[in-house]
Formats: sequence, structure tokens, C-alpha cells
Amino acid sequence: MALLEVRNLVKTFGTKTVLDGVTFDLEEGQTKVIMGPSGCGKSTLLRCLNRLEEPTSGSVRFDGKEMTAPTADVRALRQLIGFVFQNFALYRHLTVLDNVTLALRQLKKMPAALAEERALHELARMDMAEKRDAYPASLSGGQSQRVAIARALAMEPRVLFFDEPTSALDPVMAREVVTLINRLYLENVTILCVTHDLYLAQYISDSIIFLDQGKVRAEDKAENLLSGHADPVIASFFGRKS
Amino acid sequence: MGGNFPALLVQLQADLPSLISALGETVLLSVIITINGLIGGLLVFYLTLSNSGVVRKIINGYISIFIGTPLIVFLFLLYYGLPTIGIRLSPFVIAVFGFFLNVSAYNARFLVTAYKGLLPTELEAAKAQGFSRGQIFRLVTAPQVLRLAAPALASQAIQNTKDSSIVFLIQYTEFFAGMQEIAMRSFLFFETYFVTALVYLLLVSVIVLAMRRLERRFTIPGLS
Repeated sequence: MALLEVRNLVKTFGTKTVLDGVTFDLEEGQTKVIMGPSGCGKSTLLRCLNRLEEPTSGSVRFDGKEMTAPTADVRALRQLIGFVFQNFALYRHLTVLDNVTLALRQLKKMPAALAEERALHELARMDMAEKRDAYPASLSGGQSQRVAIARALAMEPRVLFFDEPTSALDPVMAREVVTLINRLYLENVTILCVTHDLYLAQYISDSIIFLDQGKVRAEDKAENLLSGHADPVIASFFGRKS
Repeated sequence: MGGNFPALLVQLQADLPSLISALGETVLLSVIITINGLIGGLLVFYLTLSNSGVVRKIINGYISIFIGTPLIVFLFLLYYGLPTIGIRLSPFVIAVFGFFLNVSAYNARFLVTAYKGLLPTELEAAKAQGFSRGQIFRLVTAPQVLRLAAPALASQAIQNTKDSSIVFLIQYTEFFAGMQEIAMRSFLFFETYFVTALVYLLLVSVIVLAMRRLERRFTIPGLS
């Protein structure tokens, strides 16, 4: 049984169908990257998986539990899914350390000292421990994203969702973040990542899901999709990117 | 210019115990309506975020009514109007209740405006982490909107102290009422109201200093 099983997921906004029967699996320890043209529904897909957006129909099973069931304990399931946003989404009124410990203290009911120890461990993993007392406004984009990843990791999630983790960063900072995500990939952290960044996709993915007009057009290893794919849409997309 | 301040001084000395007591009433009332108004404002603001359209409409109606109505009208309604239907409340209760409803509406409006300065992704991140609506409000929304609205809330606290003087119109003996009585008795109108103004200025200055200290303590880079 896969950790995440997505079946025939549909999301419509009014008359516009953004996701049109998306189906895929994500195994424990696996990393998949979702790519596709702008507006193909990549971010909406990620948001539907932890119900930040309500799917119109279809099924999302996470760790054997139906996320879309009316009786699903969505908040409990969300705690098992680390979500890293494009714009970092750090809590501006809290220090770096408090950003990471907040959910540990409030949701996991961890004693403050233990939460701090855990947070510092994750911050050190992201080379951000020395910024523990800084506020988000004083951090660079790359530093903010590293804190956001530490915040997600601190909850010991079963899977990490990344929504365009490098798109708000300049090339140098983006490479730093790619290196860190690659480190997680090599540690077999389960990752589902939406990105436009081909460099990121190549370095962290077991396979790429190519989404087009709300449908999975292909799912394959990066090297197979990147080198002259038979599908002209895919060939054209990666041709433009590389 | 000139004025007979020595004569007023004699009057003030004679009435000192009752004036100090009246000044205490003013301070007490100001503190109560400021704290109540802040709690009420947060509560009303929370309700403006309700998923229910009906609740939001009711709350917005409440805010509009109290911002659009002079406070004195409402105080008179409670003081002179309620006894006609058999409800008689003390001036203190009416003052506290009347101000609570009025100040809560203003504070809620300040907080609603500040809420527009929040980054939606922060709230979404909290939701994605598994926080409940109540936890998001308590841990993310409230600490930020209170800081963003701090200057407006501080102005309201100053306004509360000054506005508290109108409760003398519903027979509540606070500082202004005490000074009004001295003015009527001594005919030293200029001198009495001049000193009254100075005392209110002093009270407001204390609040301003306290607010500055609070602001310094709670200011966070990137969030003001």
C-alpha cells in the first residue's frame, strides 16, 4: 500500500475544471516532482491533497486513511504532512526558534525544553541554528525557506509537500535550497514537490508527474522525460526549459 | 488674563477628599472601559471572521450602529429610557455597559483594518500545520493584528479617558462632575475648567507614556 494514493481527483472552480481525474501513488521514501505548464493545476493538486482546497470528487488516501471522507480527522492528518510554501509563510511575530517550536508545543504538547531541543536540531540540519533569535523580517529569502523546511521537519511528518520552493528565490539562494532538499532526498525523506525548476526536479526526483490541463499526461523518470519525449507537448515543454 | 486661582485653590483644598475620590472614579472607569473594550473588540473582530454570513451581517450591523450613533444618545437611552420599561440600572453599570458596546465596536473596526495587513499565506501555513481555527486566531491572528492596530487602539484608550467625562450627564460622580460642581458653586468657571483640562492632560500623558513603553516592548521588526 502506498503512503499516498490519489484516485480520480477532480477540482472545479465554477465551470472551470482545474484537476480532471488525477491518479497517482507516492510510496514511503519516494520523491516525486509535479511539473507542467503554468495553470495546469499543480499547486491546486497539492492543496487538495491536504484539503487546503476541497476536492470536488475523487479520493485521497493517506497512510490508509481517506482524507476526503466527511469523518476524516483532517487536522490530525495535516500534522503528518509537512507543507513548505513558495513564499515561506513564516509567522512574522515569532522568532525563528518559536516558528519551529509553535506546533510542537501547541499541537504535539511537547514540553518547551524538548520542543526547543528538537527545533534546534532541525535548524542545525538546515544550517540556521545561529539565527534562532532572529525575526523573519531580518532573514533573506533562502534563509526563510530553510527555516520553513526546518519547521515542517520538526513535526516529523510522513511526507513533505513543497509548493514551488525555489521560485521566490534568486538563483544563488535557489541553489542553496536545492542542495538542502537534495540532502533530504538522499536521506529518503518522502517528498512531493511542485516546481518549475528543472534543476530542482532533476536533483531530487525518483520520478516526475507531468500534469497538463488538469490531467496526468505522463509519469516517468526525469531522464526519460527530458530527452526527446515522444509526446510533443512534453518534448516542447522540456525543450523550452532546458 | 489673570484669573482668581488662589480662590480656586481654597475651593480645591476644601473639596480635596471628594475630588480625589472622583478622580479615582475617572481612572477606574477609564481602565475598565479600556480593558473591556479591548476584550470586546477582539471578540467582535473574531466574529467578523465567522464562516456564517448571517453572523457576519449581524456583527457588521452592530459595528455600524455603534460607530454611527453618538455615545451619549445610547447612555441616555439606557439611563432615561430603560426605567420606562421597568429596568433601572446604576449609573456605573450603564457607563460600563454603554462604553463597552461603543468602544468594542471601534476597536473591532481597528482590528478588522489591521487584519487586512496580515499575509494570507501565514494563516494558510498554520492551517496546513494542523492548527484549529481557534488556535490560529489565538496564536497567529490576534498577536499580529493587536500589534498592527496598536496605534489606533492606543488612541482609543486616550479617547476613553477623555470621553469618560460625559458620564457626569447620567449622574455618575467622576472627576469632571466634581469640578463642574465647584465651578457652579464658586463661579470660577475659567479657573476650574482650566485646571480640569490640565488634569485630563496629565492623565492622557501618563497613558501616552505607558503606550510608548508597551510599543517599545512589543515592537517586532517587519510588523508595525
